[in-house]
Amino acid sequence: MADNAIAGYADALYAVAAADNALSTVEDELFRFSQALNSDENLQTTLDDSSLPVERRQQIVEDLLGGSASLTTKALVSMIVASGRSSRFSSIVDAFIERSAASRNKTVATVRSAIELDDTQKDRLVAALNGATNKDVEIKVVIDPSVIGGLVTEIGDDIIDGSVRRRLNQLRENFR
Amino acid sequence: MRRRGTKLCFSLLLAITGMLFFAAPASAAGASIGSCIVEKLEHIAEEGHHDDGHDDHGVEHLFHSLHAKDGATEEEKKKVKKNEDKLESCLEAPSPIIPELSEVIWGGGAFLILFVVMVKKGFPAVKAAMDARSEKIRDDLDAAEKAKTDAQSVHADYEARLADAKNEASRLIDEARGAADQVRADLVAKAEADISEMKSRAANEIEASRQQAIADLRAEVAGIALGAAEKVVQGSLDDDAQRRLVDQYIDEVAGS
Repeated sequence: MADNAIAGYADALYAVAAADNALSTVEDELFRFSQALNSDENLQTTLDDSSLPVERRQQIVEDLLGGSASLTTKALVSMIVASGRSSRFSSIVDAFIERSAASRNKTVATVRSAIELDDTQKDRLVAALNGATNKDVEIKVVIDPSVIGGLVTEIGDDIIDGSVRRRLNQLRENFR
Repeated sequence: MRRRGTKLCFSLLLAITGMLFFAAPASAAGASIGSCIVEKLEHIAEEGHHDDGHDDHGVEHLFHSLHAKDGATEEEKKKVKKNEDKLESCLEAPSPIIPELSEVIWGGGAFLILFVVMVKKGFPAVKAAMDARSEKIRDDLDAAEKAKTDAQSVHADYEARLADAKNEASRLIDEARGAADQVRADLVAKAEADISEMKSRAANEIEASRQQAIADLRAEVAGIALGAAEKVVQGSLDDDAQRRLVDQYIDEVAGS
């Protein structure tokens, strides 16, 4: 899918969420669903299977989100699945989050961590990233056990990797 | 040549005819013994008539001249003896060495005629035949000499060609030997180069295999060690340690 298409879908999501005045809620729900989708290949394959009826795939989305998501979020996810763009769902959501953050003059940073961060750590991390990038950063935390320990932060094309996984990989390279 | 032979045969026939012609009168001379006796007897009769002056008959007188009477004198006996010798001389054979004069004459004449004929006719023919024979022999000798010269020339040419062939063969053998030596040297050099290259390649392959084995072993050991280390780290990372790592990360980002 071309970047223009991704941006178009992101703009559409942004327009719908803004119209419902639920940008923050929709962002969080879509981001979590995106992370869940990335970690489950079977779900990706099922939602991307064109041989299944669209209604069946939409029903799967409805069942997954259930009552844990707003109607707007469910409608948007169902719209993307019905349009056959579920394979690029993550990209569309990332573009939507960036679009939404940009509307607030903020930059989104994706933080992967092995544990859940408390609010103090999040505030300190936001302040540290603001100082390091000279931007008004907004973070999205992803729990990723493969990190083992520490954090990995992605801001645009920049990656700040302070994970135990990286140190172990460096150690592995040194052995070769 | 045929004409010369005809002339020679004619000359021989003429010589044989002349000899037969002139031999007949010569042989007739030997048949005159009777006339010799008659002649002797007439001579004896005349002598007796003159010497004695007797008027005897001739036959009686001839008898007395050839037969001495009893009581005849010695002179009469000698005379009788002399007359007997004269008659016996007619009976004597001619000399085996000295021919009769007539034979000498006839023989000499025939010889002269034959000699002249031979000189005039036979000798030129014989001479011509001899000359022709000599000429033929000379030609044959010349031809033989020429053939000998040709044979010598051919022999010399053969010898020269044989020598050339030997030289060519020797040159070819030398060239072949040189080429064979060169080929052998090239093959030996190539074999040595191949062996050296194979040794070098084998050594490189062995070294590469050794390095690969070391790398594989090291990677295997590293994998095992890192797997163990990862488990140890994961086991040792409790909640406090995780939070310390997060705080340490935040501090590093803030201090960068």
